[in-house]
Amino acid sequence: MSDRNAELGSLPPLLRVESVSKAFGGIQALHEVSFEVAPGTIHAVIGPNGAGKTTLFNIITGAYPPDEGGVVYAQQEVRGRKVHELVSLGIARTFQNVELFGNMSVLENVLVGQHVRTRCGFLGAIVRGPWVRREERQMREYSMELLEFVGLDGVADHRSSDLPFGWQRFLEIARALATRPHLLLLDEPASGLNAVETHRLGELLEEIRKRGVTLVLVEHDMSLTMGISDRILVLHQGKKLAEGTPREIQANEAVISAYLGKE
Amino acid sequence: MRNILFAVAILLAGLGISSPYHFQLLTFIGIHTLLALGLNMLMGYAGQISLGHAAFYGIGAYTTAILTAHFNWSPWLALPAALFLAVLIAFLVALPMLKLSGYYLGMGTLGFGMITYVLIREWSGFTGGDSGLVGIPPLEIGPVSLSSGRACFYVVWGTVVLGFIVCERLVNSRVGRALRAIHDSEQAACAMGINTAQLKISVFMLSAFLAALAGFLYAHLVSFISPNTFDFLTSIRIVTMVVIGGMASIWGSLLGATLITLLPEWLHIFSDYEMVVYGLVLMVIMIFLPQGLTRGLLDIYERSKRRAGVPSTTAKG
Repeated sequence: MSDRNAELGSLPPLLRVESVSKAFGGIQALHEVSFEVAPGTIHAVIGPNGAGKTTLFNIITGAYPPDEGGVVYAQQEVRGRKVHELVSLGIARTFQNVELFGNMSVLENVLVGQHVRTRCGFLGAIVRGPWVRREERQMREYSMELLEFVGLDGVADHRSSDLPFGWQRFLEIARALATRPHLLLLDEPASGLNAVETHRLGELLEEIRKRGVTLVLVEHDMSLTMGISDRILVLHQGKKLAEGTPREIQANEAVISAYLGKE
Repeated sequence: MRNILFAVAILLAGLGISSPYHFQLLTFIGIHTLLALGLNMLMGYAGQISLGHAAFYGIGAYTTAILTAHFNWSPWLALPAALFLAVLIAFLVALPMLKLSGYYLGMGTLGFGMITYVLIREWSGFTGGDSGLVGIPPLEIGPVSLSSGRACFYVVWGTVVLGFIVCERLVNSRVGRALRAIHDSEQAACAMGINTAQLKISVFMLSAFLAALAGFLYAHLVSFISPNTFDFLTSIRIVTMVVIGGMASIWGSLLGATLITLLPEWLHIFSDYEMVVYGLVLMVIMIFLPQGLTRGLLDIYERSKRRAGVPSTTAKG
């Protein structure tokens, strides 16, 4: 894994967060947090509840702007861009509490994921000319490929809210992949999963990385995080406590006392 | 396929019916179906409420009425003008309004509906005010005047079939899926790259288009319009049609419009208690079929099939 770090160290970072601060009312959710994510790596963000992890995600995806600092994605400043613009630039995300389109089928959820990569509008839909039908067919084929990739092709026609919770998490990942992202942010992807599903998730994330997608995940499951991450950022009360490889983090005194608990 | 059957049914109904009363009733059902269809796209699919939809119905009707009765325009020239004006106003209203959601959007659209109603009533130089606007010419195709009961029936229901085809295609397209996505989770829809603000404005314009189209047909078929047709109660009645018929169901718009139009006709026998029974019927439907008639009847059908020992087609995950 250290080989990969050395090899990718020469490439410019895909994502650079530059001393970002954010306060809500009197609460300082983030305080001058900086870090970089090299392309093709898996980067984990850990920290106790309330450390500012989800706030960091929301700032990177454009849900709200930082009070101070900036976010540079693929060499361009994206601070102040709207969520849907960032999706078309290649930033996708999943949600901590799983936000599927519950009344729509599994397949339709993934079809919606391709929204920014397709272009049929009101008129196109009404006229339904040959190019619209072709686009629709290609969307369905690609969606089925993605469902097969996460192992849900057998339930494509089921209502998404009827799926067991673990499967919903995998569907959300397939839907995010449908936006064809370069950077995929996963908010606690393993929470609510059983041991078998967590293992399968680890394999899946490795495969996604091999397809060239850079991953940033917020995660509590230590075995998963330590096992697959190239680098780990530790947040504590809105501040960066440490950053490094899993081995460095495991040996870090400050992290051990603040997060893993003092013996 | 369903649409072809629907068109054939309309054709046969038009040939089979002879009573002017029945033609008139069916024509009104058709106009109400268009109104409900438009609101269903906004409410049922995109999840945005409008309590002022009669305003667009009125804008469609009064624009064509003023242009044809006062300025002697041909109705076919007045049609694009009426539609354009309604869609333009919808755009201007939606721009600030659709930032609101839930109850607040309801209040906002309610206010818009009331303002439009007051304008229609008070701007009497143009609209005739409370006494209404008379002398709207009937529709004509070449030398053929479409003023008979049967002709009106075919014009309106032909438009309904077209409206159904358009909306069905929309619902099952990239745009329709994005609309339903907004309804289920606006946050996730955003995270999929859907420009939710723009899409909500577009669907608001579409529903105004359909309401104005209904208003245009109404004005020319009845030849006399007055403000009361486009008041607050009409807006509520359109909402009721959508809810009773079934949200997010194109055929539900037809069912809801049919029931809400026919119910008062059937309830005449209760004379003084008419409105009481009317309210009771709506309450009973909502209590026992909260998803509306379409979904409710389908559920009952599926349950009876299961009881008969036939395995259900809807799989549960």
